Amino acid sequence: MTIKKKPNYNFIIGSILTGLIVALALVSLVYTPYDPDAMDAANKFAGISLKHPMGCDNFGRDIFSRVMEGTKNTLFVALGTVAIGTVFGILLGAFTGYFGGILDEILMRINDAIFAFPSILLALVIVSLLGSGKYNVMIALGIAFIPSFARIVRAEFLKNRELDYVKSARLMGAGSLRIMFVHILPNTFSVLASSVMIGFNNAVLAEAGMSFLGIGVQPPDASLGRMLSEAQTYLFSTPSYAFFPGLVIILMVLGFSLLSEGISQKSV
Amino acid sequence: MKRRLKGLFLVFVLCTLTITLCGCTGDKAGEDNSSEITIGIPQDLDDSLDPHVVGSTGSAGTREVLFNVFEGLVKPDSDGNLIPAVASDKTVSEDGKTYTFTLRENVKFHDGSTVTTEDVIYSIERCADASSGEPLVPAFSNIESITAPDEKTIVIQLSEADTEFMAYMTAAIIPKSNADPDKTPIGTGPYMYVSRSPQEEVVLKRFDEYWGEKANIENVTLKIVANADTIATNLNGGAIDMYARVTSAQVAELSDDFEVYEGTMNLVQALYLNNEAEPFNDVKVRQALCYAVDKKALIDMVSEGKGVAIGSSMFPAFGKYYSEELSTYYEKDVDKAKALLAEAGYPDGFSFKITVPSNYQQHIDTAQVVVEQLKEIGVSAEIELIEWDSWLSDVYMGRQYQATVVGVDASNLTARDLLERFSSTASNNFVNFKSDAYDTAFNNAISTADDAKQTEYYKECEEILAAEAANVYIQDLPEYVALNKKYAGYEFYPLYVQDFSKLYIVKE
Amino acid sequence: MRYIGKKFVTMLITILLVSFFVFVAFAVIPGDPALSKLGTEATYEKLEALREEMGLNEPLLKRYGTWIVGFFTGDMGTSYSYDMPVKDMILDKLPITITLTVMSFLMIVAVSIPLGIYTAKHQGKAADKTIFVLNQIVMAIPPFFSGILITLLFGLVFKLFTPGGFVSYTKSIPDFLAYMVFPCIAVALPKIAMTVKLLRTSLVDESKKDYVRTAYSKGNDKNGVFFGHMLKNAMIPVITFLGMILADIAAGSIIIEQVFNIPGLGRILLTSISNRDYPVVQAIIVWLGIFVIVINFCVDLLYKVVDPRMR
Repeated sequence: MTIKKKPNYNFIIGSILTGLIVALALVSLVYTPYDPDAMDAANKFAGISLKHPMGCDNFGRDIFSRVMEGTKNTLFVALGTVAIGTVFGILLGAFTGYFGGILDEILMRINDAIFAFPSILLALVIVSLLGSGKYNVMIALGIAFIPSFARIVRAEFLKNRELDYVKSARLMGAGSLRIMFVHILPNTFSVLASSVMIGFNNAVLAEAGMSFLGIGVQPPDASLGRMLSEAQTYLFSTPSYAFFPGLVIILMVLGFSLLSEGISQKSV
Repeated sequence: MKRRLKGLFLVFVLCTLTITLCGCTGDKAGEDNSSEITIGIPQDLDDSLDPHVVGSTGSAGTREVLFNVFEGLVKPDSDGNLIPAVASDKTVSEDGKTYTFTLRENVKFHDGSTVTTEDVIYSIERCADASSGEPLVPAFSNIESITAPDEKTIVIQLSEADTEFMAYMTAAIIPKSNADPDKTPIGTGPYMYVSRSPQEEVVLKRFDEYWGEKANIENVTLKIVANADTIATNLNGGAIDMYARVTSAQVAELSDDFEVYEGTMNLVQALYLNNEAEPFNDVKVRQALCYAVDKKALIDMVSEGKGVAIGSSMFPAFGKYYSEELSTYYEKDVDKAKALLAEAGYPDGFSFKITVPSNYQQHIDTAQVVVEQLKEIGVSAEIELIEWDSWLSDVYMGRQYQATVVGVDASNLTARDLLERFSSTASNNFVNFKSDAYDTAFNNAISTADDAKQTEYYKECEEILAAEAANVYIQDLPEYVALNKKYAGYEFYPLYVQDFSKLYIVKE
Repeated sequence: MRYIGKKFVTMLITILLVSFFVFVAFAVIPGDPALSKLGTEATYEKLEALREEMGLNEPLLKRYGTWIVGFFTGDMGTSYSYDMPVKDMILDKLPITITLTVMSFLMIVAVSIPLGIYTAKHQGKAADKTIFVLNQIVMAIPPFFSGILITLLFGLVFKLFTPGGFVSYTKSIPDFLAYMVFPCIAVALPKIAMTVKLLRTSLVDESKKDYVRTAYSKGNDKNGVFFGHMLKNAMIPVITFLGMILADIAAGSIIIEQVFNIPGLGRILLTSISNRDYPVVQAIIVWLGIFVIVINFCVDLLYKVVDPRMR
């Protein structure tokens, strides 16, 4: 460790980008320049102007408002996905890691089997069972994300359960559940935080991908992936239609990945 | 890579040339002059390519392709007349009950065999076979007997006169010897089927022993463009030479290499409502939706104002059967719509789901505008996009849906074909429309031999559909056919068909 | 040897588990395959007869047994919507997806390893910093977006390829490969960035280790140490990562196929999913699963070769 600490650029830039994107999504809850679904025949493919900073789409809808709305939808799905993934991942990882034994062996085999699947593929299978739509995609991706979180948490629990503080807590008569969730869990947070960010990163990409394929957010609801898909038709004449949603996805992913690196740098 | 670069250079030179020549002719950047054309289609053809099955339960997208492969005793021409095809001559007796056809000399099937009266009888009896419920062609239940007095003549005897019967004689003639018509379609048309690769392409080849005027282009490849968003780039890039139904927005994206032919699609685009599903089992709710939709604004939005507003299950190409006044049966009236909703017990509106096949951009666009318009009366709709095959099985066959936006076409030139589906017992009544008045009017129409009266009855049917608000009728969509300027000869039909045989390559 | 044997058995068990899960998942979902096969022609008698014929009345475990035996002997059932053997459908499209995967993978390896070494050797220099920033950005570009940009730029503006003009390998292999170049670039780009970054970090970490310092201080040839020891050790995490990537590309090809209108396994999978053509979905998923598991097995073996300390 050097004495003069270099500023953690990853963390700073990541926070700024993520903050901007989250702010954009939060603002869209209360205000968008136009109703994102409102159509206006007179403004079909209107160019970039002060009134429409990103122009208008084939229905004359304001792209900026739709990008805001789409950011919100994407973040919402990502949030749900990561929440499902972490909650069940923590439960699964905590129990298997703490208790070990035959249950651990079985669950981890299953976990490995699921983990073997790329998450988008697993999500596709689950969507084929549940049907498409925003919430189903959230559940599908959430389930697909459980194994990776379970793995991380399990590894942490395996490491921690042999440590002195856990042993002393046990000697003082603390119950297993108390030890697991009051004593050990907080110690895994630094590792978890970084993987949650990576999870966000993957969830955003997966959601955008699924919407791009037409099985995520359904029209006319705005979604970044779907906007990109629709923009393909107008690629030549109105490239801005594809550019802005794409840009926001990139910034979002960039923000999360920088943040995750920043967090792991900090905790070193 | 070298070839690519060479191609790039060539394109560059040609582009410059065309610009200097003020682009009067399309640039011929393509290398080959062998006669072939690649045509984009929105979805894979049906599993079965048996023309009789397709004619009865198949999709329009498959039918329009098979139009080039199969023919009936007669077939429609581009003006909507029935012209002799496999039969060279036809006569109808005075009482309208006896149809006599003379078989054309030496009509060959694609497998090289000659069409015989046996094949004709086999084909028609196959369509009339009622042993597994309704016959494939319901109108054929009227056939009393079909005989071949000699090797060139077919006589069909009807039990009752039917003025529209001739239109049904477009039913495909297929060889009796073909053991597997599902997979190896053999017909008499100008093109023969070669092969297919699931979700990739279908290949047709010119039939050189065709009895009539042979097709111009030898090889036709139908390429499936499953992602509607890439149609414009595929056309501009040169991956496909033709696409039959581009949207007006896509037209605006096309380069100068393309000629856009304008016509009408000849279909009834509507927000089809499942008349048995809550809340659409209440006529007031259906009427409220009709009052809520502003057809003109919608057409301006999705079809650049070029669609034809319609008010019932009939479109203008049907001439005398079409009643224009129905298109204004419901004028947009938000207050009236809200009042009707309140009467029906939905003062605060309701929400429902519109299921739309994902491969038809026009229907997706229309659905989005409808959703927007319905918001004004407090009804919130959400769209679910599904694959075409799922649409067929869930919505069309299974009737498990609330509402859907699609276009319904006619498979031949009879009003009966469009209207029969709304009679209570019709197997393709996918909107579950039930009305005794309608059934009576429809039965009157098909059983009368008097043409004028029949038209009256059919118009009555249309009016009932409008009054009962069976569906929220929207428009007959404009059809834009994008064809690379290397080719020409596209012809519109008053039906939902594509005639590839008339296409030809433009000489330089 | 014992290590390999143990890993091999684990692999087999995992494959069986995966296939069992997939089978059960599709067996318990609502909807009767016999009914969906019959469609509107269904009558009660026909339905029962078909259920019997399809073996749907057997207990679940027995059905799984029949299916898995058939699966590995080449009988993967019949597609509902195409009424053709699933095996033929998959075999027809497999070369396309394999080409896409292998070609992108080769691109990733060919570009990222030299680039990773270069940046590690020029640590802290301007080139390293530029590549670092570029890397971060490229990593964040989803393949479908880069696919769209590539279509616009190289397809429509420069006309280096025909967007959507996929040529099947059955018609012309050179044309087929030429078309696949750009989709592969779209797939490879973000993965290249990730690999470069990982290799660089790994090399930098390695260079700080004692043995390297000792080797340098003893006056050993710099390049000798670098390629003889450091690179070998630094490659261990990279190999794991590349193994994971291979699976990821195969799955990610579904989206890229959609952008470039490539009728590969992904397209079949996607349409089969929405058509509820379960025999096809089952087969593709299980094959992809097997592919992933076998890759992981190979990565484990590679470990052993690269790092003899591994047990």
